[in-house]
Amino acid sequence: MRKVMYLEFERCIGCRACQAACRECGGHDAKERNYVEYVDFFENRQTYPMLCMQCKDPACAKVCPANAIQITEEGVVLSAMEDKCIGCRNCTFGCPFGIPKFDFEENKMYKCDMCYDRTKHEIAPMCASVCPSDAIRFIDHDEMMELRRRRTQMNLIEGKKPSENDKWEYVPEFFGVYSD
Amino acid sequence: MTQFVVKPGTKNLQHRGEKLITTHCCYCGMQCGMHIRVNEKSGKVVGVEPRYDWPVTMGKMCPKGVTAYQTVDHEERIKKPLIKKNGQFVESTWEEALDLIEKNYKKLQAEHGQNALSVFGGVSMTNEKCYLVGKYARVALGTRFVDYNGRFCMSSAAGGFMKTLGIDRGSTLPWPELEHTDCFFMAGSNTAECHPTTIQWLWRARDKGAKMIVADPRETPTARIADVHLDLKSGTDSALANGIMHILVSEGYVDEKYVNERCNNYEELQRSVKEFTPERTAQITGVSVDKIVKAAHIFGRSPRSVVMFARGVEQQMKGVDNVSLYTSMALLRGQIGKFASGVATFTGQGNGQGGREHGQKADALPGYRKIDNPEHVKYVSSVWGIKPEDMPKAGVSAYEMFDEIQRGNIRSMHVICSNPAVSAPNNNYIWDSFKKLDFMVVSDFFLSETAEFADVVLPTTTWAEDEGTTTNLEGRVIRIRKVKEPIGEAKTDWEIMQLIAERMGKGEFFPYKNVPEIYEEFRLASKGGKADYYGITYDRIEKEDGVFWPCPSEDHPGTPTMFRDSFGTPDGKANLAAVAWQEPGEVPSKEFPHTLTTGRVVFHYLSGTQTRRTPFLMEQCPEPYAEMHPELASRYALQDGDFIHLETKRGEMEVKVRITKAIREDHLFIPYHWGKELSVNKLTSPALDPTSRMPEFKVAAVKIKKVL
Repeated sequence: MRKVMYLEFERCIGCRACQAACRECGGHDAKERNYVEYVDFFENRQTYPMLCMQCKDPACAKVCPANAIQITEEGVVLSAMEDKCIGCRNCTFGCPFGIPKFDFEENKMYKCDMCYDRTKHEIAPMCASVCPSDAIRFIDHDEMMELRRRRTQMNLIEGKKPSENDKWEYVPEFFGVYSD
Repeated sequence: MTQFVVKPGTKNLQHRGEKLITTHCCYCGMQCGMHIRVNEKSGKVVGVEPRYDWPVTMGKMCPKGVTAYQTVDHEERIKKPLIKKNGQFVESTWEEALDLIEKNYKKLQAEHGQNALSVFGGVSMTNEKCYLVGKYARVALGTRFVDYNGRFCMSSAAGGFMKTLGIDRGSTLPWPELEHTDCFFMAGSNTAECHPTTIQWLWRARDKGAKMIVADPRETPTARIADVHLDLKSGTDSALANGIMHILVSEGYVDEKYVNERCNNYEELQRSVKEFTPERTAQITGVSVDKIVKAAHIFGRSPRSVVMFARGVEQQMKGVDNVSLYTSMALLRGQIGKFASGVATFTGQGNGQGGREHGQKADALPGYRKIDNPEHVKYVSSVWGIKPEDMPKAGVSAYEMFDEIQRGNIRSMHVICSNPAVSAPNNNYIWDSFKKLDFMVVSDFFLSETAEFADVVLPTTTWAEDEGTTTNLEGRVIRIRKVKEPIGEAKTDWEIMQLIAERMGKGEFFPYKNVPEIYEEFRLASKGGKADYYGITYDRIEKEDGVFWPCPSEDHPGTPTMFRDSFGTPDGKANLAAVAWQEPGEVPSKEFPHTLTTGRVVFHYLSGTQTRRTPFLMEQCPEPYAEMHPELASRYALQDGDFIHLETKRGEMEVKVRITKAIREDHLFIPYHWGKELSVNKLTSPALDPTSRMPEFKVAAVKIKKVL
């Protein structure tokens, strides 16, 4: 799998189609595993999506005392295995992004698995498929690398230069998930 | 009847034991492509799969689209006809319900004349059904009173386009061309929430450097990403458009050659925009001079631009003027009829485009014909097999039908695919009118707020249980496929109209056995009209990813780009608008000091009959709220989450406050998707546009107080 998830926060329109779509994925038991949040609704309507970074060395799996969180050969970090999960919730606290969720009724953890049943066939996950503004994309690794350079390139075309106060605007807005 | 249509090279996930049926969403005018997942054994709808190869939306969907399938097998579906007995609905047989309808309809017409009956239609239905509503009212019931909920949605756009361009097609260009546009001027459209899947095209253009100008009293998710956000006061669009045109004229941005060759009224326009200096425009609209000037220069310099608008400018007492003026902006720049440029309105309802073209309107006949034109009446009568003199005269607009009820002229109403108890302005008046009716029939698949007033409720099918065509916001005619058999005893709207027609002794005019038969008649009825569908067949739609009307013959390629050579007016020239400034119907006063405006949220569709029954959408947005600026909130000592009491001349309500700086200080915004005590339309104004008869939902003067 050479494809990666690519998030462009600025594009998020807060429609939460990604969350609705997450529930539609076959193995997701109609529970969403991703997040959309307002940055600060008092100020403006900017929202951003958040989903599992599929870490290379995931904290959730590391802190699991039961070794219940498996990583596929493609690098996708799966939900805890039902028969192994002891419901300690270490993973939900260990994850620096606050991704894993806990189902108190079933007493088990669940999280984004990048729609593994789709992505293993190179079909885009549900969230990236439906996102109306392309804030979440499932694209080739090379395309992502090109997009990373894009903003700086646009700034060069428009002749802008970073100043001390807006340097951050020149950092490409991205979060790439490497899977290989 | 069903098949999975996917283009070579496109991968979709197909679960074992399931089939995919290719169709479109039931909600807004985007008509996003989707596949519905159906369990092969049980025949039940189990989910949705993106339709990556639909060229308009590329598999994208909003949360309404993703969850649309959930209304199909919903537990609250009405499965049998309901008759109200002693104030309670009782399940009955179709025979019993139709007997009752026949008895009452015949009695009322005998006592009060043919026009005692009326039909209130809707445009969230296929072309076939919308076409049939007009025929049903005029032939089966023989009444002149027929109109539809498009009066609350897009009739001002229709009026404005007719006036300026001569033909009302929602978009003069196909959507995929938007990618190549240099500048978007968007007025009164919260595209990101109301037509979310359009955003991908805007971003594609922006990635290449396109500019975006958004006029909206709120900093919507659309306005947030604009290069210039013109935060105008509600109801001042005509001044803003005139102000922009003032600068286009004075700075030499007018495409003189285009205007001289293809437009009338240029001198009148120059005269009328003269007084709209940036300063005067700023004073009326409340937008700063800098922003107006900046927007005009960006728009004026862009080689290819699209002017887009939606309900924000249309749902006003001057809706037609606003549309004409914004359209004139595009004309002055010589943009209409060219690649990646033009003018477009965002159709609110699924088939808002097709549904308004084929005779559901009080004064219209199929193919955009007019009922006061004897030639048009003669042609349609010949298709319908009636005598021209039997064609009823023009009726009145949707809101005015309620005036007729109050006057005692309309005694009965059949509401089809609409929920005016929520969506009409001045709700209290509407509710009172429903109570005054002698007999009321509602066709719906959920017990809507309107259906609760009915004497008989007839269970209809959802969009997934019938087939047909719709026309999306581009003017592209597309196919809706049947996904499953109807639930319970539900019948399609066309079968219901057919059954009632039979009872009224007009069965011979409704001989259809299936939808394609209606479509064939409808094609013929539209032939030669402005909206000519004659050359569009189901096969072509499938092969060509939809066909754009007008398409007069089967070898005609359809018309993706309108007005390439001439306009639809008698002399082939567009009419530029010259409109003087006029205040909205209601302006803030001492007693009602603030402006109330209404609109949609991304999670709900129209009156919410469907989306309020969808769990995911209700979790995201369970109730209405009043958005206000912290500055206004602090004047009333309000904190986020406090309740306020709002009052206009027509009604009052209590609602929770949400505080944000993303709205003008002098405006309040409330979404309108809820009924009864949660309906903001109790407060909205029924001031009608003189041409389109569209009410002014967007501007009402309101007073507020904190609920302690």
